[in-house]
Amino acid sequence: MIFRAVEDTDLISLLQKKGDVEAFNLLVSRWEKRVFNYLLRLTASSDDALDLTQDAFLKAWQNISKLDDATRFGPWLYRIAHNEAYSLFRKRRPETATEDLSPGDQAALEGAGRPAFPMDLTLAVSSALDSLNPEQREAVVLKIYEGFKFEEMAEILGCPVSTVKSRLYTAMDVLKNQLAPITARGTR
Amino acid sequence: MSNETDNCCGRAEMLREYAFDELAPSDKAAFRHHLETCDDCSLELDRLRLTTAALRVIPDREIPQRIAFVSESVGKVSWLAAFWNSGARLGFASACVLAVAIVVFAFHQPAPTQTVAQSGIPTSDVSKQVNEAVARAVAQVRLEVKAEDARTLQVALETADRKHEQEHRALMVAMDENMTNLQKRLNTFTVLASADMGRTAGGQ
Repeated sequence: MIFRAVEDTDLISLLQKKGDVEAFNLLVSRWEKRVFNYLLRLTASSDDALDLTQDAFLKAWQNISKLDDATRFGPWLYRIAHNEAYSLFRKRRPETATEDLSPGDQAALEGAGRPAFPMDLTLAVSSALDSLNPEQREAVVLKIYEGFKFEEMAEILGCPVSTVKSRLYTAMDVLKNQLAPITARGTR
Repeated sequence: MSNETDNCCGRAEMLREYAFDELAPSDKAAFRHHLETCDDCSLELDRLRLTTAALRVIPDREIPQRIAFVSESVGKVSWLAAFWNSGARLGFASACVLAVAIVVFAFHQPAPTQTVAQSGIPTSDVSKQVNEAVARAVAQVRLEVKAEDARTLQVALETADRKHEQEHRALMVAMDENMTNLQKRLNTFTVLASADMGRTAGGQ
């Protein structure tokens, strides 16, 4: 007997052919943490991130039949999550800009209560990320935290690869300069 | 695109793609070879890697609430959902309610107070008891019918007797009156005849 891990593509195929809710729940369990953290880094609010995660998976469930290439499930799902997040931003604009975070939201973004990392580095990183505009921050989140390729990022963000690169490289230059004192200290 | 990291060798773009693991395998090997000889690129790569490592001090958080779906398939609309969302549902619901009402009305019977299974009595005994009870009930009904018939007959006879008696009395009264009238006429005739006989004898 040969055992093979059930891939996402297997689950999506099962889902598209039979509408198997258990297959979808398995997909959700594999992706929910990543999607939640992506949205948490965009919104800086745990409640908003959870609501948006649920909305994103609901949209995915309703539109799974429209996914032509099962191997592109990740970018497709993140595209939905991105759209949900920006839909929320548009509703709240201009009273709640993502740059103006409350102390509670800052704590959520920084993962308050975890003593695993030096507080000054955590604060410095949060501050550096806050100095980016939303597009640059999302590019950093997708690349550094979520590990997507440029092509996948372009699919998620709905823009050309060149735009993705521009946003990411500019953001990395800003972050590199802002974090230079701390990273230099760490290398000494 | 920022030129801040452009270095002397002019390979800043390739350097970033190498740092973000976006280079093709063949280009990656070539750039790795370049790094061994270019201090600027090596230094810039270290800065990028340190910045990336610093960013990752903010780890992923656990999702506060797990997500699970329990509904039926939504991706493809089921025939039931399609029907239910159509305009025919009201008519269908009405027909169902009517059908249920008819069936309930047709088959509704009072619940037996005790079933054979619950009584614990053998079926044959039950059958015998039922037959005896039925026979007794039939005999009782027959007796009651007979008694009722007898009472009805008695009443009818009494009614006929009373009617006959009344008719008899009425007839006797009528006969008495007729007899009285005849007697009066006879007397009158006798008196007149006597008077005539007296006048005839006086004239001779």
